[in-house]
Amino acid sequence: MRTYDVITHRHRPSSTRGGKMAARLLLRSGLRAAAAYRAVRVSAASRCMSTGGIPTDEEQATGLEKVIMKAMRDGTDPYNMMKPKGYAGSKMDPHLVPSITNKRIVGCVCEEDNTAVVWFWLHEGEAQRCPSCGAHYQLVPHELPH
Amino acid sequence: MAHQAHAYHMVDPSPWPLTGAVAALLMTSGLAIWMHFHTMTLMTLGMILLLLTMYQWWRDIIREGTFQGHHTPPVQKGLRYGMILFITSEVFFFLGFFWAFYHSSLAPTPELGGCWPPTGITTLDPFEVPLLNTAVLLASGVTVTWAHHSIMEGLRKQAIQSLALTILLGFYFTFLQGMEYYEAPFTIADGVYGSTFFVATGFHGLHVIIGSTFLAVCLLRQVQYHFTSEHHFGFEAAAWYWHFVDVVWLFLYISIYWWGS
Repeated sequence: MRTYDVITHRHRPSSTRGGKMAARLLLRSGLRAAAAYRAVRVSAASRCMSTGGIPTDEEQATGLEKVIMKAMRDGTDPYNMMKPKGYAGSKMDPHLVPSITNKRIVGCVCEEDNTAVVWFWLHEGEAQRCPSCGAHYQLVPHELPH
Repeated sequence: MAHQAHAYHMVDPSPWPLTGAVAALLMTSGLAIWMHFHTMTLMTLGMILLLLTMYQWWRDIIREGTFQGHHTPPVQKGLRYGMILFITSEVFFFLGFFWAFYHSSLAPTPELGGCWPPTGITTLDPFEVPLLNTAVLLASGVTVTWAHHSIMEGLRKQAIQSLALTILLGFYFTFLQGMEYYEAPFTIADGVYGSTFFVATGFHGLHVIIGSTFLAVCLLRQVQYHFTSEHHFGFEAAAWYWHFVDVVWLFLYISIYWWGS
């Protein structure tokens, strides 16, 4: 099951003096905790307008927040919130690059920790190769999510 | 809904940053005019404009988040970072005043009698009202945590009660501190003791009032069903701020009221 980069709620305040580092750590652990919490959540019916009087996101979320909530539940990621999937970059397994138009800029970090990023336009059609390391990239046209 | 392929919030054009900047200009220049020419008009105008800006800007944020759903997970994460950074900046603000206090109190000059508290200063007994104030703020930290758990568990009545109690405790602190200020045997003009005492505790009191106001807004929003059991960052931000205010008081109490007496 995918763990989602979502902050639902956090129990601990992080405003202690000199707690900037602590705050960042807490955010990260809060993300993981939230993800884990969601994975083992009890039936949502135990907290909702009818039982306690406070609505749930399920009942009250609206707009883009609601769309994203539903998409996450269905396992899709129309707004590219998640890290892109890893590909080998070979001819058989090229990097698949989603795009809402017919071209997109790609920045290739050929080797880990490289500071010089190789930028190039990726056009629709045949896969292109990074001019530096030769990794294969393939544009995948997508519909604009509405 | 705007057509976008990302989850972020591209805000609509808004006049409030401009009105806020104008308010800052009027307040600062108004302060100078007040000091030199004894008229408060410009400064008061700036303050009114500031209050209007805050009210309308934050109202718009509530509209965008709660009513229009623009506060997606990444947007909320950004708001969290923002609040943490702001509170951190406030920590540094208070650090300055603590620096001033310790600078003067660790090596008291001959003009003060070479001692701390300085000669002639009757300090407040740290085990009277200041201790009560400490208990009040610590209790309010408990009640605000209670309110948070009530929200997360979907209990409306308890959330409202605990949040209201937190605000009442905040008001009680402000009231007690006001009484202390009135009854204190020294003033801000009483040397560096008076300066450090009233500037540090004074700014703290201002932050208590700000924090109480923030919590009061949250109470209003909770009553009007803005918060869900999963998404209630406005409340969390207010709670973080409130805990920060509490911690600053603890440092004030230990340093100025207790060690400094």
